[in-house]
Amino acid sequence: MPGSWLIGTLLVTFLVAAAAAFATRGLGAATQRAVETVHVIAISIALLIGGLIVAEVAEGQRLSLLDGWLIVDPLGCNFLGLVVVVGLLTGLYSIGYLRHDIESGKIKATDLSRYYGFFHLFLFTMVLAVTSNNLIMMWVSIEATTLTSVFLVGFYGHKTSLEAAWKYVVICTVGVAFGLYGTVLVFADANAALANAQSAILWTEVVKHAASLDRATISIAFAFVLIGFGTKAGLVPMHTWMPDAYSEAPSPSSALLTAGLANCALLVIIRYAVITAKAVGPEFPQTLFLIFGIVSIGVAAPLIFVQRDLKRLLAYSSVENMGFIALGLGIGGPLGVAAALLHALNHGLAKALMFCCSGNVLMKYGTRNLDTVKGVLRVAPVTGFLLIAGALALSGAPPFNVFVSEFLTVTAGIKAGYAWLVMVCLLLLTVVLASFVQLIGGSILGPAPESVRKGDLGALTLAPLGLGLALVLLMGLHVPAPIARILAQATSSVVETPAVADRVVPARNPVENPHPTFAMDLHSDAGASLPGCARVQPRKDNACAN
Amino acid sequence: MAGENIVNALSALLVVTSLFVVQERQPKRAALLYGVQSFVLVSVFSALAFFSGTEELYLWALSAFVTKTILVPAILYRALRQFDPVQQPPGSLSPSIAMALAAVALVVSAAIVTPIHLPASAAFKPALMVSLAHFFLGLACIITQRNIVKQIFGYCLMENGSHLTLALLANQAPELVEIGIATDAIFAVVVMTFFARRIQAALHSVDDRELMTLKG
Repeated sequence: MPGSWLIGTLLVTFLVAAAAAFATRGLGAATQRAVETVHVIAISIALLIGGLIVAEVAEGQRLSLLDGWLIVDPLGCNFLGLVVVVGLLTGLYSIGYLRHDIESGKIKATDLSRYYGFFHLFLFTMVLAVTSNNLIMMWVSIEATTLTSVFLVGFYGHKTSLEAAWKYVVICTVGVAFGLYGTVLVFADANAALANAQSAILWTEVVKHAASLDRATISIAFAFVLIGFGTKAGLVPMHTWMPDAYSEAPSPSSALLTAGLANCALLVIIRYAVITAKAVGPEFPQTLFLIFGIVSIGVAAPLIFVQRDLKRLLAYSSVENMGFIALGLGIGGPLGVAAALLHALNHGLAKALMFCCSGNVLMKYGTRNLDTVKGVLRVAPVTGFLLIAGALALSGAPPFNVFVSEFLTVTAGIKAGYAWLVMVCLLLLTVVLASFVQLIGGSILGPAPESVRKGDLGALTLAPLGLGLALVLLMGLHVPAPIARILAQATSSVVETPAVADRVVPARNPVENPHPTFAMDLHSDAGASLPGCARVQPRKDNACAN
Repeated sequence: MAGENIVNALSALLVVTSLFVVQERQPKRAALLYGVQSFVLVSVFSALAFFSGTEELYLWALSAFVTKTILVPAILYRALRQFDPVQQPPGSLSPSIAMALAAVALVVSAAIVTPIHLPASAAFKPALMVSLAHFFLGLACIITQRNIVKQIFGYCLMENGSHLTLALLANQAPELVEIGIATDAIFAVVVMTFFARRIQAALHSVDDRELMTLKG
């Protein structure tokens, strides 16, 4: 298939970059220049390849490699694009941030090879996770993301960063082990149904034959999957590693963890939700999504409000936003799913921007404590401006991107008959808004402390943030047509008519049923409409269209 | 029928050996006991291969023997020999509580496994139940133990449980997949051991109560 080599090239790029970065450790004084060169070349090539992949998929191509073990479909492309873009942003930002760490004596120049080596290895595993079509390799790659990124979490080797790294590796490894159980159950069931192990291991094949899978087995498997991969996604109550890991990792790594890793785990959950919806009926996964979603938002919102550590505040905001995405998936239907997928992108970009901004604050003030950080706008005006924009974006204010996806989710919820749930959610979002207003009023505005030298940081730490803000604004004002097309196709593949759901839950009039399902919404005319995008319609080739 | 009984009995032996691993305070000896337990797992794979006629499982047994009976215990033994047994915090699980936990794990596993109807596991449902119970027992070890070294062993036990599930339900998966999972498990143990050593070096303790600075 044309363009399929792009998947391999992207993976090889990150792998070679990681190997080259580790190898520069032996270069002594030349390490910094060599490893930064390797790093910039790799993230630039990755962006180019990522752009080509997105263009191919937007044109309707489906990329496949290694007998279908690796694929890029619209659903995966949505997340692949995010990983590559955030990889570029955080990669560029890392250069200035780590140079500052060297200047301040926090690390040695030779430590850069370790940082960039694991940075690219982490990107490699994330790309493998979003392109994997092999169910068990999907699990292997998610587990591998933990094993590579834990070295970024524990990079500084302080007592607190080692503590965070330990909690991260133990909780996530244990959590993902639950995911393995779910994976094995799905494979075993599919193997029994298909009588072909080579096909039963491919997600695309399992989806095709999901109607013939055992309902009880798939229900249990999905519960395991949601607990397992939900741990990596940061859903409550499996989120406990997140504030520690995000706050202790170098700021660009925190951005990559929240924007990339959490979404990779989310993609795997969505892939299993598609299988489950077809095998069991959509109510089961949607109900679980709704429960985990609202609980995550409910737990995170007050914790955001009380945080006095900037990065922990952002970490809890990630928990809240992952809950919000789960809520969108739980609401279901084309609009709910489209809103959830768009929110994954929007939150990833906005959070990457904010974590990098927190890095600038840390460089300027030497602390993340919001009782000490005051008057950022006066101390470092550009950073202060970017922080205000990022905080407003995360609080869901227009014209930023998060507003669009939150508005779509709320609309989908009301339309689907979840008015009470939406009201509770909006109340909790008000607490989140208050938290960010408190952040802006208390730490960004106001007088500057005498002890902090005034003046902004260099272009290396500001330009990537400017790029991040441009993307946040762009996605808020007008979703570019190729991205909108991919989102529409991805939504279509998620809400594709569940063949079994037709049998198990006959499609009914949405008005008669207060709990719309993936299947039912396809019969309604509630096609999702994204800014700058055609309405999302169900695939014509599905059985339910008959 | 005899074959099924042997497989199921060997699987039950896994739970017994895991209790020894959980109870052992000395890291080096726990590593050796883990090796013994993994040998039981290899025996289960071999018995399954013999009685079910699934030849792939002989390869699984061979790879489990190399990785889990030799490699992982050797890595753990070598890495953990610096840990002074005197400094080890006492385990928070008494033998009687550990036994009770194992019983609870078996009951929970039975409740989960009973509704599952898969041809691959029809003859070996007790073994499937034990594999899941073993997984939960490992989880209980991680949650209840204050010693971070014991938490690594807890993960190893969980991993052996899921490996048995894999052998029972997914033995026809491509060989590369089994290699991928085994490699991941080895790396997980190596990474955890690496951080346990760094924590020991930085804090002079392996007590997880020392890892409580980050809160809120």
